[in-house]
Amino acid sequence: MARLIRTEKEVEGRFEEVWLVVEEDPLTQWPDGPLSVVGRDALRQDALERVRGEARFTADIQLPGMLHTAVLRSPHAHARVKKIDLAPALALPGVHAALAPGDAKGLEGEPGYCGAAVAAVAADTFGQARRAVAAIAVEWEVLEAVLDPHEAVRREQFTMPSSTYERGDFAKALESADVVIESTYRTSVVLHNSMETHQSVCEWVGDTLNVYISTQYIWGVRSAVAAELGIPGDKVRVVCEYMGGGFGSKNDPGEYTFVAAELAKRTGRPVRCALTRREENTAAGNRNLTIQKLTVGARSDGTIIALGGEFINGVGWSGWSAMTDGPMQMLYACDNVRTVRHGAKINMPPMKAFRAPGFVEGTFGLECLIDELAVKLELDPLELRRKNYANANDDTPYSSKNLMECYDLARKHWDRRDEVRARSTGTWKHGVGMASQIWFGGGGPPSYAWTRVSSDGRVTVVTAMQDIGTGTRTAMAQIAAEELGVSLDRVTVVLGDSARGPYATLSAGSSTTPSVGPAVRAAAADAKRQIIEIAAQRYDVEEHVLDIKDDVLTSADGNVSTTLEQLLEILENSQILGKGGRGPNPAGMSVLTFGVQVVEVAVDVETGEVRVERVAAAHDVGRIINSLGARSQVEGGIIQGIGHTLFEQRLHDPETGRILTTSLDAYRMPTIADIPEIVCEFVDKPDAHLTNLGSKGLGEPPIVPLAAAVANAIRDATGADVHELPITREEMLRALEAAKKKERRGAPAAV
Amino acid sequence: MELLRPSSLDDLNGGLMIHGGTEVVPLLRDGILKADTLVDIRGIVPRGVKGNRIGVGTTLAELEGSTAIPEALREACRLAASPQLRNMSSIGGNLLQSTRCWYWRLKYPCHLHGGDRCHAREGEHREHAIFANDYCASAHPSDVAAALLALDARLHTTKRELPIADLYRLPDEADRHVTTLEPGEVILELELPAVEASVYLKAMDRQRWAFPQVGVAAARVAGEVRLGLAGVAPIPWLLTGPEALDAATPLPRTAWKVDVARALVRRALDRL
Repeated sequence: MARLIRTEKEVEGRFEEVWLVVEEDPLTQWPDGPLSVVGRDALRQDALERVRGEARFTADIQLPGMLHTAVLRSPHAHARVKKIDLAPALALPGVHAALAPGDAKGLEGEPGYCGAAVAAVAADTFGQARRAVAAIAVEWEVLEAVLDPHEAVRREQFTMPSSTYERGDFAKALESADVVIESTYRTSVVLHNSMETHQSVCEWVGDTLNVYISTQYIWGVRSAVAAELGIPGDKVRVVCEYMGGGFGSKNDPGEYTFVAAELAKRTGRPVRCALTRREENTAAGNRNLTIQKLTVGARSDGTIIALGGEFINGVGWSGWSAMTDGPMQMLYACDNVRTVRHGAKINMPPMKAFRAPGFVEGTFGLECLIDELAVKLELDPLELRRKNYANANDDTPYSSKNLMECYDLARKHWDRRDEVRARSTGTWKHGVGMASQIWFGGGGPPSYAWTRVSSDGRVTVVTAMQDIGTGTRTAMAQIAAEELGVSLDRVTVVLGDSARGPYATLSAGSSTTPSVGPAVRAAAADAKRQIIEIAAQRYDVEEHVLDIKDDVLTSADGNVSTTLEQLLEILENSQILGKGGRGPNPAGMSVLTFGVQVVEVAVDVETGEVRVERVAAAHDVGRIINSLGARSQVEGGIIQGIGHTLFEQRLHDPETGRILTTSLDAYRMPTIADIPEIVCEFVDKPDAHLTNLGSKGLGEPPIVPLAAAVANAIRDATGADVHELPITREEMLRALEAAKKKERRGAPAAV
Repeated sequence: MELLRPSSLDDLNGGLMIHGGTEVVPLLRDGILKADTLVDIRGIVPRGVKGNRIGVGTTLAELEGSTAIPEALREACRLAASPQLRNMSSIGGNLLQSTRCWYWRLKYPCHLHGGDRCHAREGEHREHAIFANDYCASAHPSDVAAALLALDARLHTTKRELPIADLYRLPDEADRHVTTLEPGEVILELELPAVEASVYLKAMDRQRWAFPQVGVAAARVAGEVRLGLAGVAPIPWLLTGPEALDAATPLPRTAWKVDVARALVRRALDRL
């Protein structure tokens, strides 16, 4: 039965209080541990399609008569279009239509950053469209640009109101502390650089707009496009069968969708609008820079009594100010915490959510600070963390928390310290560091799924969700197979089309599995109930004595034993249809994910080269659905984290605000040669309060602690305090030089 | 645009010469190079290693596995770019590649593009030069050129024979080019002297597929030790000795490169 509740909804660390219609969630959770299908390794259902190049991504969509778009982008960080003449573009061969500022949402007459979309042209080929865009004549009025986040804060120029948080009395607690450490940390702008660039193909069929789009949220695109165009939602069909990555940057339609839709309307043709790799590096969103002035006060026994931080997010021209202060408020038990967070509005490309936005940056600062405290107090960093373990989220109980079990799993990796340090020879110094992780990831309602069981005994799960590329299809199939008692290869998951299936939530905030998974289980349970009802009548037994396992229906006394295929033959053209919805989150509880990573590094103290040599990760995300897919997620997060920690940095010209690192030879992401051994472990204990699955999301947690763990390992190896990401050779050599000076001044060396 | 495939060097008559295309094609795409005619010279320039001579059409992939060439050159090839790029790119093209300076690649009107300033000097320059950087602060990206400079290689072109050091020149107000190659002149072969020992060390972001932050080649040729550096000046840089690093003129954000160069030079000399 549907129920109306008042609840707090969280996406990527942003909360709002909403009315919500939810389904009851009457199913009891499965027993702990690996089951028949769930909790075990499953190969991706679409692995072969992907490696054979058969999977159809938005970039592969070719419609008859399709036109291609190029976008004119602002060469100025802040300017006004005084005059624009599209005629020279329209006169060129192959050109069908052109859009000026205001003709489509996202085409700006007063662009606020270099790379903001201003105008667009559709032509037969992309080359023609590009030449036409170059022919557009624009008269600019250049306006003042603010590029420095400190200057924006001084002017109180924010993208959203600053946020202040306090519990206890920070200032007073700090006075009574035995030790106080203050440090400033900086993190740089990094880019998603998804393999598939942001893109859409729009096609009008009568009064219906078909949108093929690389997106993390087909329903969000559907409603945003319908609202913008003033048409009903059911006149917008959004399709995303496969997508080449998003990492948070593809949660909304983007200007490319509105441009393609408008050009399709004007030309009567399907229109593709796809960002180039260069545009992807300038105008597709980013993890914004942060500046964090942090303070910790502690007693000499290691009890943390005061935590304070002033956080500046250099957000860009638009975007939200992510919770860089979250880890400081939530990770440790500390009675006195005070944080201030500013979202500086600067004339730079806008931020977009990026894999645990805010928490990745904030955890780097906080977890480095905690280790600096451990050095000062001469305490074991792991013991210091255990000592300050939080048993509630402020006053709210956790739905489940097994961080202590993560620390236990990490112990054997942590105990390698002496062995690793002993490897140091010559200029290469080896060390071990750790960092903890806290993040959201509980998902929430609503999401729905349907199941269809046919006379051949095959199961189809239909839900209009998208698979961001994490293996969602496979995880959903495992859940349905487990509930129905059938083998995994009987289940097909159909997703990625808003016109063919019920609503499902966005693939962001580590929410897909915990949001849609319970709906799929409920839909499978609904189908199973009906199968049992039919079988009970067919064999004239009570329903409760029947069960399905390993594709065989049996009765408790063993008198009935029949394969599902034999049983379901009687259906002929009849079908069993099941439906299920995601139940509510537990009221009055904080649903959070936890983990710890232990990193081994080697540092060449002469050349500043840093190599990550081993990463051991232990995460607590409730029940694991696909153990193979889960390990892949952790590996992916760590690999991306290594990039952010060591190499990746979007650079801009300080005078013009123009992005300088526009290609992948300048914006350097890690290659496999940079990736060490990665060990993944999970607590794998269902959250007893969370849904019929007890599963949380795992997309984001693994990237959260990596940078701090690397920096802490560097400190262990060299005594140098790294304060900035990425840890380039320049930063590494600076930190080493500072450590030398500190030593000369008589402060004790860290190791 | 037309593509010509001449059958002999005698048929060359203008147009933009292209070999592997790993540099020419991106520059054409970005409008930095312009051409109506491309001339594919793959069929007409020498390829392969014969004795102490290397055809300019030899790919980096062919050289990285060759035991017939000195270690410094082999290492410089192996540590350059990615396998895909090394399969396509010729050693001759590698010597003639342009700087990775982002301002130059984004067509800022800088000195090298004929403009009136160096944007990198006041701007973002953490990957730029520590020598000869007052007019143009770009850093030459060729690992191979640094190695050949240390190895004291000679070039044979369609017009002349010259030491590799003479292929390069620092840009100035009167002439913004960084090579002395004349229009229509084609490098044909590289000639190596007898090398007693050589080594190439490279500092880069990532373990693979990155241009040198600092590349150091050292070679002992006829009893004399030579040092060639990549990534430190607008052209491949001949270092007279380790002490010459004291004369570096780093920009505020390239001082770290001097430390890295110092360490790599010391190590390279130790290994000789």
